[in-house]
Amino acid sequence: MVNVTLRVNGETRSASVPPETTLLRLLRDQFNLTGAKLGCDVGDCGACTVIVDGQPVNSCLMLVGQVEGREVLTIEGLANADHLHPLQKLFEHFGSLQCGFCGPGVIMSAKALLDENPDPSTEEIRDALGGNLCRCTGYTKMIEAIKGASCILRGEEAPLVKSA
Amino acid sequence: MKSFEFFAAKDSSDAVALLAQHAANAKVKIIAGGTDLLADLKFAAHGPDVVVDISHVDDLKNITLTEQGLNIGALVTHTQIMRSPLIRQFFPALVDAAHTIGAVQTRNLGTLGGNLVTAVPSMDSGPTLMALEAIVTIAGNGGRRQVPLNEFFVGPRKTILKPDELLAEIIIPKQNLGKPTHFLKFGLRKGQALALVNVAASFWVDWEKNVFLAPRIGLGAVAPKVIRAPQAEAYLEGRTISAEAMAEAGRVAVGDAKPISDFRASAEYRRHLVAVLTKRALESAWTLAQTRRLEGWNGQRNA
Repeated sequence: MVNVTLRVNGETRSASVPPETTLLRLLRDQFNLTGAKLGCDVGDCGACTVIVDGQPVNSCLMLVGQVEGREVLTIEGLANADHLHPLQKLFEHFGSLQCGFCGPGVIMSAKALLDENPDPSTEEIRDALGGNLCRCTGYTKMIEAIKGASCILRGEEAPLVKSA
Repeated sequence: MKSFEFFAAKDSSDAVALLAQHAANAKVKIIAGGTDLLADLKFAAHGPDVVVDISHVDDLKNITLTEQGLNIGALVTHTQIMRSPLIRQFFPALVDAAHTIGAVQTRNLGTLGGNLVTAVPSMDSGPTLMALEAIVTIAGNGGRRQVPLNEFFVGPRKTILKPDELLAEIIIPKQNLGKPTHFLKFGLRKGQALALVNVAASFWVDWEKNVFLAPRIGLGAVAPKVIRAPQAEAYLEGRTISAEAMAEAGRVAVGDAKPISDFRASAEYRRHLVAVLTKRALESAWTLAQTRRLEGWNGQRNA
């Protein structure tokens, strides 16, 4: 067994798990944080995306032993019952998700992008979502939502007109 | 995934010691970014007995200019390559190559060393480093040794690394600092695509004679390992720079490639891509050479 202590959504958490456990399994099975999804489990689909030390990563591709002492942010750490993150609000407004399975991963990728680049171009947003597969939407409404959220986070008024 | 014993190395000497301790009587795998290894292990019938984690080994995460050249620690991630001011200044081709690997999440985890050690013929780091005549430093129990990257690859997923050795750093030799280089990849999508063919071309210019000097061409996904294109290089050496020469070098490079047909592309299509991409990579390297000259980069070698 591997003993691991890390910060998850601002809280110190510990667990003792087999060494082959991935960060994704740790979050879902030990900490009951099921926002990050188990999709392909090999780093292609991005449904498991979480932010580790400020960078979006595939949580299915990290072993627990590698996250000792790290700071992990999951979709559950983005909002509380009263306040949604602007990204979540605008994904709702624009109807950016359909089945929603990819949503937590997409939003964590978008959050990491906006933390680093407060005013991304469409091309930069597309690049940031290149590791998040969505088979429902075609991405257009996600991009609109991410642009809108970037306006709100910069303290500007967000364009809320829907494209179609 | 099959279970294994897990050891986290504190620094590179600790990593080498852990390998020495376990490699003799157990199957050991090193994990760095994990993007290739874990994807493999989840499907593997027989996993390693021991996994040595080097992801926290800070002494292999530096990008520095040394007496030998530009040293890139094996654990530098693709994202770090894209953001490094030194690499952006001297080798935009390495930045372009890193950007074509995987997606943001895998570029944040995946390392340059891991990309080389996995030794997949379509690796996107390979051609540019081959065109820049990179050298790799291998760390083992008996100390460190250096070999040209050209001799590091043995075949698909095979390198000269012994079970108790690890790749420590990648060095672009001093004489190639700032050498105009361009990387091109042809995949079936923009994101997360493996290369059907990838190519890098580099050369210095004799501005008085307007000829190619030390042209180097790296080809990926067209042989069991990443290769140089010696016939195309020999064709260009000392030749007057012209669009026709670059197009002909592309055609000659086809003879250096030994592609196979698989579900991604036929060998014939790959040969066509070698000609086109080699020509275009040469053209773009030529544009970069001219731009740098206008910007006042000093001379040709040791710019």
